[in-house]
Amino acid sequence: MKNIYFAITIICAYGLAHAQEPAYKSATERRRNTYNEPISAPFAQGKFVPDISLIADFSVAGRDIGDERYASVEVPGLIHTHGHDEHGHEYAALNAKNGFNFNYAELSLYSVVDPYFDLFATFHIGEDSFEVEEAFFTTRSLPLGLQLKAGKFLSSFGRINEQHSHYWDFANQPLVYKAFLGDHGLLEKGIRATFLAPIPFYLLIGGEVLSGENEASFGTEGFEDVTKTNAVEDAIGPELYTGYIKTSFDLGNFVVLMGGSVACGTTRINHGVDEVTNGGHAINGNTSIIGGDLTLKYLIDSYRYISLQSEYLYRVFDGDEYDNQGAKAELEKKQSGLYTQLILRFGQRWRAGFRYDLINKNEIKVGGADTDLPENLVRYTSMLEFDPSEFARIRLQYGHDRSSYLYEGEKKKVNNELLLQVNMAIGAHGAHSF
Amino acid sequence: MRKVATILIMLMALFASRAEARLNVVCSYPWITDLTAKVGGERVKALSLSQGNWNPHLVVPRPSLIGKARDADLLIMNGAQLEIGWLPPIVRESRNPRIQQGLNGLLDISSSVTLIEVPIAVSRAGGDVHPDGNPHYALDPHNIAPIAAAIASRLALLDPEGAAVYEAKLLAFRTDWNKRLAGLDTRFAALRGVKVVSYHTLFNYLARRYGMILVGTIEPFPGIPPTSRHIESLIGRSRAEGLELVLQDVYNPSKPARMLAEKTGARLVVLPHDIGAVPEAKDLYALFETIAGRLGR
Repeated sequence: MKNIYFAITIICAYGLAHAQEPAYKSATERRRNTYNEPISAPFAQGKFVPDISLIADFSVAGRDIGDERYASVEVPGLIHTHGHDEHGHEYAALNAKNGFNFNYAELSLYSVVDPYFDLFATFHIGEDSFEVEEAFFTTRSLPLGLQLKAGKFLSSFGRINEQHSHYWDFANQPLVYKAFLGDHGLLEKGIRATFLAPIPFYLLIGGEVLSGENEASFGTEGFEDVTKTNAVEDAIGPELYTGYIKTSFDLGNFVVLMGGSVACGTTRINHGVDEVTNGGHAINGNTSIIGGDLTLKYLIDSYRYISLQSEYLYRVFDGDEYDNQGAKAELEKKQSGLYTQLILRFGQRWRAGFRYDLINKNEIKVGGADTDLPENLVRYTSMLEFDPSEFARIRLQYGHDRSSYLYEGEKKKVNNELLLQVNMAIGAHGAHSF
Repeated sequence: MRKVATILIMLMALFASRAEARLNVVCSYPWITDLTAKVGGERVKALSLSQGNWNPHLVVPRPSLIGKARDADLLIMNGAQLEIGWLPPIVRESRNPRIQQGLNGLLDISSSVTLIEVPIAVSRAGGDVHPDGNPHYALDPHNIAPIAAAIASRLALLDPEGAAVYEAKLLAFRTDWNKRLAGLDTRFAALRGVKVVSYHTLFNYLARRYGMILVGTIEPFPGIPPTSRHIESLIGRSRAEGLELVLQDVYNPSKPARMLAEKTGARLVVLPHDIGAVPEAKDLYALFETIAGRLGR
């Protein structure tokens, strides 16, 4: 009986399998009428998609002063706005407005090029701007601990210059950085060579040749005053050289990182010397900046650490100052400042920090005579951060700025600022930096 | 004269005995370092980039690690994206042309084992998910031997003169390991059907191998710390399921696990996940001995 059932089953199955087969005249006809032809995509490149990530940054700001006045805040001899943007940087400064700010969306692409190169690109997308923030290649296969990097990139001068703003421990850059290197830091076109020493601890020596187009300290474009009395030629580029040495060692879970940097270059900065406006002027000469940085970080466990980070920058300018009426005078600047910040990560999702900014030296001599500019300018910043996950950050920051003077008038203005910053990342998993 | 000769001979013997290691190997975690040392013996100098008592996802990329990677002939990594948050910049910054992606100087041992819990779709709505599957495969003792074989073949590829040595070392290790494995299998057999909860999905390979039943994790999602609401619901579920063991690692807060154990009557066990996580887990053998001992088997 069982066998009969089995036989019936087999027959039925065979019948079902062949029930749908039409009566083809030949094998060729059958092949021609097969409709489940497999489709291949021989030109598909999906496997070669580079690592893509998008980081977006938003904030809500509340300040003592209105947006117009905030944009024209100056620090005499250091931060000079002239009420307009320098160097055609399209995108706005971070957290520029009272109320809501869309700071940026940063699109990053990275991939290996071939056995010899890696390529990185970061696009800074503002509300109505699209800029190549960085686009550079690095070598993968040079011997002897050497590496070359070339393109447009953030200089490795100092400690935080090469960090994108979402790596910072605060929502804005240190005062001395803004004063000496401008809103965007030392972001240049050029080439960098580095050497990692073959010794048991970390010792990196590097140097860069850059085009020198910084808004605050370096520049190459010539100018001519309104009266055509004085003219300065364009400098023929590369006009900026940097060198640095960085070293680090561990004492158990205590990590020390130290560095010394120097940047020397041509300075040609034109603030309306060719315009009839009141106070139009320009400078021409050479600037050197020396920097020293120290980071001490104690790793308590997987989720907690305490870190102390400090940088000191010293800037010397030697050259001439021109006004738009044809006057010219010798100009000397010796300025320095520092920041010190203490960061405590006290839980898996919580960080708190305090930063002290100081401009301690602001000596400017015009024609050999001291101009008696204000010194010992300070700013205090504190922050509390909640990171819901590794990919999102919510930060509350309070800044008390005693360094700023309002444009048009030497009146000092204390600026209190409260910021709520939100930063998120999607796409390729970013790596934690030290 | 004879004294001088004796001293010379002794010195020569001393230098001869201190054979220079042929391969400089850096490994991402201590257990890989130990396995490499066992398979490579004298010919290999193996160094770990991290310590075994901290969270393996969140190794701090200290600059000193870049120096360690600089002169390596081989970098052996866990893979399955466990190191994605800290190792890539170290490899890039190492200025070491031998250990870059796609070269023989970089060995990802996750390809020697079968990964579990491979997500069909990847979304970070589920926390910090690993798209290739659960990366904590080292805690299944049956995965150790194939990994040892992969390490031995890579060592032999980079140091052909030592191929016979690595082969012999591997054979000795596997013979030894299989004996221990039989012992472990016997001891863990009693765990079949035991209901467990862990903080993170860290012990899933061990649980799966020996038939333990995972009731849930203390983390609501990978990398996201627990909320009281999640703990409440986990307590409810654990009571309903008859939870027996709460497995706690050494680097995450143990308070929620203690509370869960208290409320459900389950036993709290602190397990090492790597060498050095607890003092007695001194090497690979001791690591699994400690796990078996602490599970009371």
